[in-house]
Amino acid sequence: MQPVLSIQGISKKYGSIQALNNVSFDVPQGCVFGILGPNGSGKTTMLSIILDILQANSGNYAWFGKPGSPETRKQIGSLLETPNFYHYLSAVDNLNITKAISGRGDAADIDRVLEIVKLSARKKSKFKTYSLGMKQRLAIGAALLGNPEVLVFDEPTNGLDPVGIAEIRELIKQLAREGKTIIMASHLLDEVEKVCTHVAILKKGTLLTAGKVDEVLANEDIVEVSATDTAKLKLVLEGFKGYSHVKQDGKLFELYFPLGTARMEDLNRYCFEQGIILNQLLLKKKSLETKFFELTND
Amino acid sequence: MLSLIKIEWLKIKKYPAFWWMLGIVALTYPSINLMFLKVYEDITKGKETGAIAKMFLGNPYAFPETWHTVAFFSSFFIVLPAILVIMLVTNEYNYRTHRQNIIDGWDRKEFITSKLCDVLIVTAIITLSYSIVAIGYGSYTDSKNFYRWSEQLQYIPLFFLQTFAQLSIAFLLGYLIKKAFIALGIFLFHYLILENIAVSWFKYQVKNDIGKFFPFEVSDRLIPVPAFIGNFGQDMKAGYQKALDAIPMHVGLTLAITAIIWIICYRVHSKRDL
Repeated sequence: MQPVLSIQGISKKYGSIQALNNVSFDVPQGCVFGILGPNGSGKTTMLSIILDILQANSGNYAWFGKPGSPETRKQIGSLLETPNFYHYLSAVDNLNITKAISGRGDAADIDRVLEIVKLSARKKSKFKTYSLGMKQRLAIGAALLGNPEVLVFDEPTNGLDPVGIAEIRELIKQLAREGKTIIMASHLLDEVEKVCTHVAILKKGTLLTAGKVDEVLANEDIVEVSATDTAKLKLVLEGFKGYSHVKQDGKLFELYFPLGTARMEDLNRYCFEQGIILNQLLLKKKSLETKFFELTND
Repeated sequence: MLSLIKIEWLKIKKYPAFWWMLGIVALTYPSINLMFLKVYEDITKGKETGAIAKMFLGNPYAFPETWHTVAFFSSFFIVLPAILVIMLVTNEYNYRTHRQNIIDGWDRKEFITSKLCDVLIVTAIITLSYSIVAIGYGSYTDSKNFYRWSEQLQYIPLFFLQTFAQLSIAFLLGYLIKKAFIALGIFLFHYLILENIAVSWFKYQVKNDIGKFFPFEVSDRLIPVPAFIGNFGQDMKAGYQKALDAIPMHVGLTLAITAIIWIICYRVHSKRDL
């Protein structure tokens, strides 16, 4: 299936600073694609280029198999960096401008998206009277106008309170269930891990990895074990074969096996035969946070 | 183009500064001309001296001279719509909507075209205000001459062109500088002080009229001083006639400079990061 977005060798320099260095990846249709990276890694620069706000020094990108153009942008609901609206206009007036430029939605749709982002009660208030969270909600509402098939969100939960964050996270999941393609930049790893199906990790403008979240995270099997007699367990584990290294955290041991080689039954049987009864035996995924720090730490 | 105008109208119809500017223009244009009309009436009210003064001055506010006189005095206040034009473009930077408009689906050229529409809309409103004031004074001061209303109508397009050209300079400053106060400061300094000094210096010290090619002076000369100036001796008459004869050249130069300004805006906007 043709990717929604295909990025090929994009590079961007600000003076002597290399903001993006030959970045390439594809965003498959119907996925929630997280772009991760520390501050200054090039996430917003990348999104700005694919939305024609910045011009790349080299490389190219294609939306729906076509070079980026006003027509392709009209099919995409986008929130880039900050909510950008006319301060002296109300939410409805601002969305009318978004509607007129993008050709997405109608008057009824404006009411619909304001309801989704819980701004109906303040829809006639001027934008400048909104709190930071309300401004962010309006920007998300503008992106949802016309129910586009592709959404680009740059730090969508910025400025929101915990309830707002949970609501937006649920909204993104709901949109994903409807089959929308969502491209989302964030430095909130927990947020990305909870909603994304795919991820790309950037560091200082270089793409470190990209792919399905499960594939990016699962390059090792990690098995957690513990027992009442920690000292004996440690000795027993030294005799077990197959894992590359072990980490101890108090009474808990983490055994690192090459991907797909951890056999829980074998480990359990071995410990039992050596007189150790395990009170914990768990095969776990590496957290995105762990993977992220692994990749981005020098 | 029509859809761009509709969208710009959505932006400006609820912009308070737009209505303030209209209100101020609605007061200023009649007021400045009323002031000069009162001076004229004071000069011409004496029996003997008044008759002599009338002989020299004619009635600058009667048809058809009203088109010329009102255009000349009204053009002093270009700074009012210039403030609005600068605000309209710098607001887009302040609100970062110059980015959002592109994200939402405008071509970069469409953004500049939309701003061109703004400048044209403001110019049209200013020209309409000027026309109403000219008709009002023409009808009020000498209704007997009303039948000559269609003479000298060329001052309407000349006023339009002068306003559009000078507002285009204001737009360029706002567009390139991005900060309203700095752009306005440079506009005022150049328009009120720098260019006047430079033009006079070249004219009277260097004895060279190169100042006529300066950005504001080019379009200032589209509307020469009112016709009565030409009644004060042969030199003044020759000078006035020379100014009238130079208008076609200044139309060409104004169009060229204004075209260059907008070409710069289109070129810069198509290449720069937003």
